[in-house]
Amino acid sequence: MYWEYHGYMFSPRFDWLQAALQFIGDVTILILLTHAYRTFALKHNFQNLALGQLLQRIIPAALILGITYTLATTIKLHLFQVWFYRIPVQPFTDFFKANAETIFIGGMRLMSIWLLAYHMYHYAQREIRVNRENARLAIITREAQLNNLSAQLNPHFLFNSLNNIKALVSNNPKAARRAIDLLSDLLRNSLYNGEQTLVPLKDELNLVNDYLELEKLRFEERLQYEINADDTLASFQIPRLSIQLLVENAIKHGIAQRKNGGLITVKVEQLATVIKITVQNPGELIAGGNGLGLKNLQERLDLEYKGQAEFAINGQMHDIVLATITIPSA
Amino acid sequence: MKKLRVLIIDDERNARAEVRTLIADYSELEIIGEAQNADEAKEQIEQKNPDLLFLDIQMPEKSGFELLESLNKVPYVIFTTAYDQYAVKAFEVSALDYLVKPIREERFAKAMENLKQRITLPAEDRIFVKDRQQYHFVTWSEVHLVESMDNYARLFYGDKNVFLKTSLNQLEQKLDASMFFRINRAQIVNLKYIDKIMPAPDGRLKLLLKTGDTLEVSDRQSVKLKKLVKT
Repeated sequence: MYWEYHGYMFSPRFDWLQAALQFIGDVTILILLTHAYRTFALKHNFQNLALGQLLQRIIPAALILGITYTLATTIKLHLFQVWFYRIPVQPFTDFFKANAETIFIGGMRLMSIWLLAYHMYHYAQREIRVNRENARLAIITREAQLNNLSAQLNPHFLFNSLNNIKALVSNNPKAARRAIDLLSDLLRNSLYNGEQTLVPLKDELNLVNDYLELEKLRFEERLQYEINADDTLASFQIPRLSIQLLVENAIKHGIAQRKNGGLITVKVEQLATVIKITVQNPGELIAGGNGLGLKNLQERLDLEYKGQAEFAINGQMHDIVLATITIPSA
Repeated sequence: MKKLRVLIIDDERNARAEVRTLIADYSELEIIGEAQNADEAKEQIEQKNPDLLFLDIQMPEKSGFELLESLNKVPYVIFTTAYDQYAVKAFEVSALDYLVKPIREERFAKAMENLKQRITLPAEDRIFVKDRQQYHFVTWSEVHLVESMDNYARLFYGDKNVFLKTSLNQLEQKLDASMFFRINRAQIVNLKYIDKIMPAPDGRLKLLLKTGDTLEVSDRQSVKLKKLVKT
């Protein structure tokens, strides 16, 4: 723009068309270059790099961009000379030698400024986003803990369990003692209010196992259960209380609603690039009936794994409900 | 005194065992059976005709309420529940008793005390009606008037009324003919509540009920009623 103003004021042969084309040419070159860089950076995940790693990539990038800019601009200027003056101008190589240095320095300056601005903007954006997501994750993990606490303190569960233990005290004292131990551990775990959002799979499965064993004392033959998990996955980290929630639902909406109860199967397996957790129970899926617990689980997965984890619940053949969590394993 | 015949209904075996343990101290109760769901219970109630139910509310497939609604004749009921504040609120509390599990012995004793005061043998015919989110026990001997309203029958008893989903014809079949009389297309009256029968100028009869209501009897039914009164 400045050069156009300069040309208009001081050059006797100022041509509006040529000036506009020059301007469009410059802008096009800049947009194409920066856009190419942006695509490349996004593809190679530059925006998530630490500052040091990012610098290692920005400096050569500035150099490459500067060189490309120089080439493109000299070619552009040369072509303009050829087209507009229609005089046998100097060959391109000579033109290049004469002008490359000035253009290169200008280009480097432009590109460096652009790169810094671009990355600073994204860096700030990322900081804001990460902070927001972490805060949200902390809140909904706490929510999940509260949900779990209220599930354990749910009158149906708690008082039926206590009533069951009362009967066992005289009918089967050994089972009564066991039930008190299990119920105590479940309550202790519910009252836990640490910051942990993830726990090793084996801890979660121990909890689920205690819960199922206690419910088995209540439902007796109406509740059958199986837990299958690969031993190698014992220390794999999963969201706390995620399987527990699915198993509670399987009892509440599955077993407790059926006269003859049924089988609950918990399965954890390693597939190619994911860990797949499934909880299967007899029952019918109520359309649109996803409660707070499942919504919370979905959101925790989204935030914890940045959209890489999946949750689905499906009804199959009218009498099987299958809940699936898929978590990336690497 | 004749023993009260009891049916225990709960989906958990240990919960039934608990009620059994509590009942053991009361020689006036005799356990005639146990049921672990509403369908089993309905079958046993119709077969064995118990006087008293200990009934869990939360059961698989059909709740305790649904069981009672499905019965033509409802025995005395003591609800047992782990906790169901909404259901408890829905009761017309004076009509029944409910115990929260685990059941304290002194609370159970109080329930037995209430029962002795309230119970009359043989049990009067009652039904269990859900009307506008409220549950009601309705004793037929207390119903003075039944009116037809579209697909419903409206039962008037005391100063209350409830809607029952049945046609008047269907209901007439079920009712005790020595207690209820159909006076016209739309009304059935409890004979016990008739205060005066007055002839109208056109030969029909008019009824004055003890509640103060005046009702008209149709031509055909006037003839029948005259016969009935003579005998």
